[in-house]
Amino acid sequence: MTQDVPQVPDRIAGSAGPDAVDVVLVDDHHLFRTGVRASLDERVRVVGEAAGVDEAVRVVHELRPPVVLLDVHLPGGDGGGGAEVIRACADVPGTRFLALSVSDAAEDVVAVIRAGARGYVTKAIDGNALSDAVRRVADGDAVFSPRLAGFVLDAFGAAAGDVATGDDELDRLSAREREVMRLIARGYTYREVAGELFISIKTVETHVSAVLRKLQLSNRNELTRWAAARRLL
Amino acid sequence: MVDLTAGPTAVPRPRVPRGALRRPERGRWVGGVASGVAAHLGLPLGGVRVAFVVATLVGGVGVVLYVFWWLTVPPGDPWEVAAASRPSNLARLAGRPGGDDEHPRGRRWPVTDIAVGVLLVVVAGVLVAVRTDRLDAGWVLPLLVVLAGAALAWSQLDEVARGRWRSRAGGRTPVSVVRLLGGVVIAGVGVLLLVGRATGPGVDAATFVQSVVASLAVLAGVALVVAPWWLRLWRALADERAARARESERADIAAHLHDSVLQTLALIRARADDPAEVARMARAQERELREWLYDDRPAPGTSLAAALRDVVAEVEDSRSGPGGEPVAVDTVVVGDRVPDEATAALLQATREALVNAVVHGRPPVSLYLEVGAAEVEVFVKDRGDGFDPEAVSPDRFGVRESILGRVRRRGGTATVTSRPGQGTEVHLAMPFAPSAPADPSNVTPTGPGTGVPLSAGAQAPTEEES
Repeated sequence: MTQDVPQVPDRIAGSAGPDAVDVVLVDDHHLFRTGVRASLDERVRVVGEAAGVDEAVRVVHELRPPVVLLDVHLPGGDGGGGAEVIRACADVPGTRFLALSVSDAAEDVVAVIRAGARGYVTKAIDGNALSDAVRRVADGDAVFSPRLAGFVLDAFGAAAGDVATGDDELDRLSAREREVMRLIARGYTYREVAGELFISIKTVETHVSAVLRKLQLSNRNELTRWAAARRLL
Repeated sequence: MVDLTAGPTAVPRPRVPRGALRRPERGRWVGGVASGVAAHLGLPLGGVRVAFVVATLVGGVGVVLYVFWWLTVPPGDPWEVAAASRPSNLARLAGRPGGDDEHPRGRRWPVTDIAVGVLLVVVAGVLVAVRTDRLDAGWVLPLLVVLAGAALAWSQLDEVARGRWRSRAGGRTPVSVVRLLGGVVIAGVGVLLLVGRATGPGVDAATFVQSVVASLAVLAGVALVVAPWWLRLWRALADERAARARESERADIAAHLHDSVLQTLALIRARADDPAEVARMARAQERELREWLYDDRPAPGTSLAAALRDVVAEVEDSRSGPGGEPVAVDTVVVGDRVPDEATAALLQATREALVNAVVHGRPPVSLYLEVGAAEVEVFVKDRGDGFDPEAVSPDRFGVRESILGRVRRRGGTATVTSRPGQGTEVHLAMPFAPSAPADPSNVTPTGPGTGVPLSAGAQAPTEEES
C-alpha cells in the first residue's frame, strides 16, 4: 500500500462532457483508482486523486470539488479513514461525499454516513450506476445501495413493523420511507420505485434524503449500540 | 500411600518415549509431583510414591523434595507438553486455543488444599517432636501457624498457575486475593508469636513493638528494592503473552490465505484464457474471504441468513447465465432467526427462483430476505426480458410450480410478477407458525394456465399463484 503522489490530470483531458461533474477520487489502491476512472462515463470528470487521509484533506481543500468519491478504509491521519476525511473537510462548503467500499460491515457504513457522507455504494457497482450516483449526490440527493437500505431497515427495526406515526420522529421510519427502503433493498432503481409506488422520482429522492437524515441524527438504540460496540462515537 | 492402580499418566504411550517434567492434574493425590516424576523418568508411579514416603521418614527429605518440586515444576500434561515441543516445521501453523479444556478435570474440589494443610501440619509436628524432644508446646504452636499461613499463600500460587493454564485469563479472582492476604496475615501472626517466644516473657511491650516496626521497615525496604525488578518481570510476561496471541492470529491468517486465496490465484492464472471460469473463481473467493473477514460465523443450524448465504453460494458456483457467464447475486438480508422446516422449504423455493433468475433472466439478480414480525419474506428479482404470464410455456410453468408449490404446501404465499422488458420478480412469504391451518386460498389447486391474473393498476400482467 504505497502512498501515491496525487495526480491532478489536465481538466480538459478525457471524454468528459461540457456539464460534467468534477470529482476527487480517494482510495489507497492505485489499481482501483485507475479502474474507477476508466469506468466513469462522460457525465463525470475526475479532477484529482488522493491515496491517504492527509492527502485527501489537502486535495479537497485545494480543489473544492462538488463530489468526493471516498473509500471507507484509508491509511494516514489519526486512523479514522474516510469518516475522518469527511469531518476534516466539514469547512469546505458545497462538497459532498459518496462513500465507496468493499466492506460489508455495518460499522463501516454507519461510521461514514454518520460522519456526513451522502451515500454508500459498494465497489462492485458498474460504471454507469456509479456515474448516476455521482450526479445524484452532486444534485444534493442521497444514494442508497440495496445493502445500505438493508442496514437501515435492520437498524431502525422497520422489518418488524416498527414504524413512525408522526413526521418529526427521528428514531423510526415512516411507513412510506419503509416501503421505499424495502424496494431499494429488493434491487429497484429510483425510477422503478417511483413507478411501483405511483410517486415521482423527486418524491423518492425526498424520502431517501429523509432516511439519510434520520440515519445521521437518530439516537436510536440500535444505532448507538452498533456504534458503541465498535467504539465509533 | 502405596497405589497399585496407576494413574492415566503411567500408561506408556508409544509415540512419545518420555513425558516432560510437569505435574499432571489427572490421577494425582496431592500436587501431582509423584505422577510427574514417574512420567518423566518412566518409572512406576507406585514406586515413586513409596520412595517419597520412605524419604520422608528419613529425616523429612521426601517432604522437602516434594514441596520443592511442587513449587518449581509447572502443572500440565507431561505427554501433551512433550508432543507440543516438536520442531516448528512439523507443528501446525495455528495453535489450538483452549485445547486443554477438552480434558476432563481431575480433582476440582478443595480436598487437595485440605490434604496439603493436614500433611504439612502432621509432618511439622512429627519433625518437631522427633528432633527436639525438650521443646515445649509453646514453640510448636507458632511454628504451625507460620506453616499454615505459608501453605495457604503458596497454594494460591499453584491455583493461579492452574487458572492460567486453563483459561489464560490470569488468576485475579477475589478468592485468590483473600487467600493470599489470609496466608500473609496468619504467617505474620505466627512470626510474631515466635518472636515473642524467643525474646521471652520478660520483654516489655515497647521493645516488642520496636522490633516489629524494625522488621516491617526491613520488609518494606526489600520490597522497594525488589519492586522494579518484579514489575519488569511482570511486564515482560504480559508482553510475551500478547505477542504470542498476535503470533497465533497471524499464523491463522497466513494459513487461511495459503489455503484458499493463494490456491485460487494460482488456479486463476492457470485458467486465464477462460474469462467465465476466472470470474466465477474470483467471485467464490471474494465471497469466502468476505465471510471470513466480516461475518460472525454463527454456529451451523442457528442462522437463516447463513443458510441463505450457502444457498446463494451454491447457485453462484453451479449456474451460469444464458451466455455461459457467471452471475453474481446481490444479496440483502434483514433480520435473522433459527431455521425450521418451513424456512427450509422457503430456502428450497428461493433456490429454485434464483436458479431460474440466473439461467433465464439477466443480471443484476437481486435477492432480499426479510424476517418480519410474523413472517419471512423473500424477493428474487432479475432484469431479464420478462414474459407475459398469459403466454407462459408449460415447461416454464413447471419450474415455477416447483417454486410456488413448495411454499404453498407449508402455508406460505408466492407470487410471480413479470412485465415484458422489466424483468421478473418472485415474492415468497412464509408465516412463522407452520402448524396454523393454511389459508383456503392457498390450497386451491391451480393447473397450468389457470392462474388468476391480478388486475390491479400498474401491477397489470401479474400472475397470482396463491
